[in-house]
Amino acid sequence: MFRLQSSKVLAVDMTGDAVKAKNGSMVAYDGEMAFKKLTGGGEGIRGMVTRRLTGEQMTLMEVKGHGTCFFADRASEINLITLQGDKLYVESSNLLATDGGLRTGTTFTGLRGASQGNGLFTTTVEGHGQVAVMSDGPAVVLRVSPQYPLSVDPGAYVAHRGNLRQSFQSGVTFRTLIGEGGGEAFQIRFEGDGLVYVQPSERNTIAGDV
Amino acid sequence: MGFREINSKMIEATVAPGQKLFSQRGAMLAYKGEVSFTPNVMGGQGGVMSMIGRRVANEDTPLMTVEGNGTVLFGHGGHHIEVINLSGDTLYVEADRLLAFEGTLRQSTVFLGSQGGVMGMVRGQVSGQGLFTTSLTGHGAVAVMAHGGVIELPITPGRPVHVDPQAYVAHHGDVRNKLSTALGWRDMVGRGSGEAFQLELSGSGAVYVQASEEKL
Repeated sequence: MFRLQSSKVLAVDMTGDAVKAKNGSMVAYDGEMAFKKLTGGGEGIRGMVTRRLTGEQMTLMEVKGHGTCFFADRASEINLITLQGDKLYVESSNLLATDGGLRTGTTFTGLRGASQGNGLFTTTVEGHGQVAVMSDGPAVVLRVSPQYPLSVDPGAYVAHRGNLRQSFQSGVTFRTLIGEGGGEAFQIRFEGDGLVYVQPSERNTIAGDV
Repeated sequence: MGFREINSKMIEATVAPGQKLFSQRGAMLAYKGEVSFTPNVMGGQGGVMSMIGRRVANEDTPLMTVEGNGTVLFGHGGHHIEVINLSGDTLYVEADRLLAFEGTLRQSTVFLGSQGGVMGMVRGQVSGQGLFTTSLTGHGAVAVMAHGGVIELPITPGRPVHVDPQAYVAHHGDVRNKLSTALGWRDMVGRGSGEAFQLELSGSGAVYVQASEEKL
């Protein structure tokens, strides 16, 4: 069971089951724990090759044991997401921990990834269980419905779930070209039905400079 | 007296005549009233021998003495501050994490090698803390800095707590520490889980852990 010890520390109570967590993110534990690196994120040879090729690398470890284990990473805020058979799209750098039973994989994101400075691929998590996602500052969850599409700054995007189509939107005008842009030249537009997680901070992106 | 938390990154201390306060040099943000700040050449309490001890031990974070009548605000580097109140027991903390403490507390430098022999020394090296640490004993309040806030984990006999050396902040109580290793062949070939070394704390007391693996 995942629970938040504070907004920045994730506590996982374990009774012999396993969780996957970002390599080296354990800060403390009581009881008996064993840590093992999952080569290729536990996705087998195919997953390993895909991750190498796509640059969406993530080093995960498997934690198994009895007791309580605490995870934290660079004082990032932690958000708990419960999946019930649906799929979560998240940047591998924002993924802190998942239940052992969830499957992870990679997917193509198109231009959005490039504008975020994260590469063209992103990580997916699916199955039944809990996921801990990190954000720089507390993340807000924004609902997207067919009537209300949402545009997000690529640098502030953290994760999304649900039946969403994403497109790339650019507001480049002649002002941007002469260096007088508003700093918001690109957005990701989400349409459909689902949830988008946005952080109150922006990563360095190409879009942020123009 | 004591320290009052204004927000997670600032504390307010009240100084009254005859009551001293020690703080890290340069950590004062603002003050009200008549307060004087004197750099402390000794780097803390306890005369010349302790000063030499701290120099040798590399635990000589520049301190200043705060005296007078008024209130002082402290903060440093945007780090989260945790106020720990001691009632007769001893707190072990790294000198550079110490923001301020009351003059009623006795400060000294502890050789970690004496706690656990050779492994104690290895522990100090691995956790990047050196072989010495600072201890504070008595009744009073201590303000400790940490990156990203701290959680307090109780340690009870028979239930040791393992802590990542980089996330360790401080501990108090009757606690023995030792370095436990989980080095396997995987670590040798560079396939480690990043959790090869842990501090094992056992006994009774509490350990403070920060939400980050960054040193200050």
